[in-house]
Amino acid sequence: MNDSNRASIKLTDLGKQIVESILADRFPVLEIPDRNTSNIVYNAKQNRFVLGDSTNIRDSSNINHIRSFTQLTWVASFAKQLLAASRTSSLRDLYYSSEAFDVVFKDQAESDRIVTDLECVTGLPRESFGIFPDEHSSIYGELVMRYTVPGYDGREIDLTISPDGLPIGPALMTAEPIRTDAEIVLAVESGGMFSRLIETKAWQRFKAVLIQLGGQPPRATRSLIRTLNERLDLPVYLFTDGDPWGMHIARVIMSGSANSAHIENLTTPGAVWIGVTPKDIVSYSLPTEKMNNADLKRLDELSRDVRYSDHEWQKHIEEFRKLREKAEQQAFSRYGMDFVVDTYLSDKII
Amino acid sequence: MNQQVPTETTFGSISPAEFFYRNRQLAGFGNPSQAVYSAVRELIENSLDSCEDAQRLPSIDVRMTSEDSDIIRICVSDNGTGIAEEYVPRAFATVLYGSKFHNRQRRGTFGLGVTMAVLYGQITTDSPVIVHTQYKGSQGKEYALFIDVETNQPIVKSSRPLDREYDGTSVTLQLRGDLKRAEERIIEYVRLSTVSTPHAQILLEVDGTESLKSGRWWNIHPPPVISSNPHPRAADLEMLRRLAQNNGEKRLQDFLVASFQKVGIKTSSRFLKFVSFDPARKVSSLTRDDFGRLSTALRKFDGFENPDSKSLSPIGKEAFLAGIKSTFNTVSVYYSSRGPSEWQGNPFIVEGVIAIGDAFPRSDIPILYRFANRVPLLYDSSEDVLTKTMKRLNWKRYNVDSSAPASLFIHICSTRVPYKAAGKQSIDTIPEVETEVLSLMRDLGRHFGKTTRKSEKALREGKKMREYARAFRHLAKFGADLAGTDEVPSTSRLVKQLFEVYPDE
Repeated sequence: MNDSNRASIKLTDLGKQIVESILADRFPVLEIPDRNTSNIVYNAKQNRFVLGDSTNIRDSSNINHIRSFTQLTWVASFAKQLLAASRTSSLRDLYYSSEAFDVVFKDQAESDRIVTDLECVTGLPRESFGIFPDEHSSIYGELVMRYTVPGYDGREIDLTISPDGLPIGPALMTAEPIRTDAEIVLAVESGGMFSRLIETKAWQRFKAVLIQLGGQPPRATRSLIRTLNERLDLPVYLFTDGDPWGMHIARVIMSGSANSAHIENLTTPGAVWIGVTPKDIVSYSLPTEKMNNADLKRLDELSRDVRYSDHEWQKHIEEFRKLREKAEQQAFSRYGMDFVVDTYLSDKII
Repeated sequence: MNQQVPTETTFGSISPAEFFYRNRQLAGFGNPSQAVYSAVRELIENSLDSCEDAQRLPSIDVRMTSEDSDIIRICVSDNGTGIAEEYVPRAFATVLYGSKFHNRQRRGTFGLGVTMAVLYGQITTDSPVIVHTQYKGSQGKEYALFIDVETNQPIVKSSRPLDREYDGTSVTLQLRGDLKRAEERIIEYVRLSTVSTPHAQILLEVDGTESLKSGRWWNIHPPPVISSNPHPRAADLEMLRRLAQNNGEKRLQDFLVASFQKVGIKTSSRFLKFVSFDPARKVSSLTRDDFGRLSTALRKFDGFENPDSKSLSPIGKEAFLAGIKSTFNTVSVYYSSRGPSEWQGNPFIVEGVIAIGDAFPRSDIPILYRFANRVPLLYDSSEDVLTKTMKRLNWKRYNVDSSAPASLFIHICSTRVPYKAAGKQSIDTIPEVETEVLSLMRDLGRHFGKTTRKSEKALREGKKMREYARAFRHLAKFGADLAGTDEVPSTSRLVKQLFEVYPDE
C-alpha cells in the first residue's frame, strides 16, 4: 500500500501546515490550481491536457473563503480516516457523512467540488484516498483480471461471468489484467447498445471487450480503458451518440476533462471515435432530431476549446453546425436489429 | 370642555345630576361593563390627584367583590390629603362640584366622574356611597351619602367618627355591572396608570385575591404643579362672565390683570385700547354684548405672551422610560417631547416613547398607547387624534414592519385636554395638537429607523462573526486531526484580530 502511504503523508502535511500557521498567529492560506477551461494547456510530453500555471488562493482570513476552506480540511480529515481504516466511500456517502461533523454542504455538487479541490491541492486523485463516484460503468468480454483489493487480493475473474456485464468499481479499477482473447476495446455510450452487443454476440465477432460508458464515464472507467490500452495493447474504439455531447464523451476519454486535468493516468490518447459522426448521419440516412439551443451553444463552446483545436475536430463541429441535426446510437434500429452490428460497426472497425 | 358644561340657564328644568344620569353614556356609564370600568377609573384618578396634592408617593388599594352576581362592591383607598369635613358631602354627592376648576393639569376635570359613579351606584343598587377620610391628622370620619337627584344636593344618611391609620380617603360604593367583562380592561388600566404615573403603586384585589400589584417604578415625586390664572386666549364668554361675577366692584383693567396670566398694566392698556373700552369702567356695568366683544377680542389680540407651562406636569424622560421598561419587556426605548405649545390659550406638551420589544404584537404600524394628563385612554381609539395622526404616517419609511415589533406611548398634558366627550376616552382633532403630535411621531419614527438599521447591521455583523468563528474553530480542529495532534490550536486571538479591524474596512 505504498500509494496509500503517500496519500496519508500528503494529508498529514496539509494538516501540519494549517496548525503551524494558526500557532504562529497567521491565517492559513492554500494555493489551489485553477480548474477553469481557460487554464487547460496541452502537454506534449504527456500527450494530454494539463492545468496551466494559474492558481486560486484560498485565504482563511477571508469571510467568503472560510466556509470552503473548512470544508476542504474536513474532507481531508475524512479521507485520512478512510485510509487509516482501509475503507472506501462514495462521493454521496461523503456528502451525507459531513452532517455528523457539523460541516454543511449545500448539495452534493458542492461536496464533489471540494473533493476535486483536495485533489488539486495534494496532486492525488480522490481514488487514492478511497473516494469513488456513485455511478458505475460496466464491462463485458473475454478478459481475465486479478483483484488487488484487500480480501480479494489474488482472486481472478473472467469478465464474461455475467450476461449483464460487471460494474467497474474500485476493485476492478485497481485489478491487474492477466490475459485476454480480445483484440480491441469497444466502448459504447448507452446501456441499450451495450446489451445489444452482448446479446448478438458482437463481442465474439469483433473480438472485443465491451464497455458501457453511461454518459460521461467515471474516472475508474477511463482509468481502466487506459490500463487495457497500455498493458494489453488493445486499440480502443469509442461509439457514442451523434451529437456534441456524445462527441465530447469520446474527446474526454482521449484527452482528459477540465475537472481532472490535474490527474495523471486517465487518458487514452490513441482511442478512436468511430461515431456517430455528422457524416454518418448523412451517409446512413439516420433518423434525426433537430438540434436545440443548448446543443448549438455547446458546439460554440467546443469550437473554442483547446482540446478541439485539431483540424479533424473542427471539421466535425463545422459539419454538425451545418447539419443542425443529431442522431442517437439507437437510430440504426431503423434498418433492423442487426444492421448496426452487420453493417455499421463492420464498416467502422478495421 | 368648560363651554359644554350645562348651567342652570341652559337646563333650567332639570338638575345636572338628572341630566347626566339621563345621558350617562356621555360620562362613560353607558353599559354594565363600562360602568364598572369608569367607576374604578374615576376613583383611582381622584386618589392619584389627591396624593399629588399631598406630594406623597401614591399607594392605592383597589378592592372589588361581586356581592351578588351583578352587584359589585368597589373600594378604593389612598394615602392622599384626605378631605376636610365641610367639603365631604358636596364633593361626593353634588354633580359638578369639586376642587378641579383650577387652571392646572389634573386627571379629573370638573368633579363629574366620581359623582357620576356614586349616582350610578345609587340608582342601580339603592345604596349610599361610604366615604372614610382623615384630613391633616384629625380624627377620621366615615360618611354614608346619597344624592338628591332632583335638587342635585347631598343627603347625609349617617356619619360617625372612625379611626384611620393615616391621612387619606377610602371610598366604597356598590353598583350593578359586569365585573367579568370589565376586569381585563381594569387590569390594563392599572398597569398603564403606573406607566404614566410611575411613582405610584396600585394594588388590585378581586374577590379577596391579589390580581395585580403594579408600580413604584420611580421614587421621585414630580414637582408640584402650580395653579395659575387662565390665559386670556382661553377666555370664552362663559368663563368671562363667571370670573366677573365675583369682581363686580373692580375697574375693568384691574379685573383683567387680576384674573388672567400674562396680563399686566402695559398689556392690558394696549388691549383695552385695541378693543376701545374704558379701563376705568366698572365690571358690573358691562352688558352681555360687552362681554361678547371682550371675549372675542381677547382671543384675537396678538399682544399676549404664550401661556405658562408651569401648571403642566409632563411625565419626563427618565420616569416615563422607567415606567415603560418596568411594565413591558423592551429591547430599546427612545423618548422625545414637543412643546410647550398652546391651543386656544391652553398650554400643552406632548411627549412620547417608541419602544422595541418582542412582547409587542407584530404589526405593520406600531401599537399605540394613549395617555392624557397621565391617564391611560383605553376606549374609542379610532376617533382619537393620536390614532389618526399615527395612521397618517408611513411607518414603513421608518423601518417599522411586522419583523420589528414596536409600540408608541404618547402622552399629552394640558390644563385642558380637548376630549371629545365627558367620558374622557378620546382626544379631539385640534389643529395645533395635531401638528405637534405629527412632529413628535416623526421624530420618534426617524430615531426608530436609525436604531433598527443600526441594530440590524450589528446583528448581521454579529452573526457573521459567530459563523466565522465557528468555521474557523472547525478548521483548526480538522487541521489538528489531519496533522495527527490532539492539541487543537486556539483560534480566538486570530478571530478577534480579524473582527476588530473589520468594521473599519
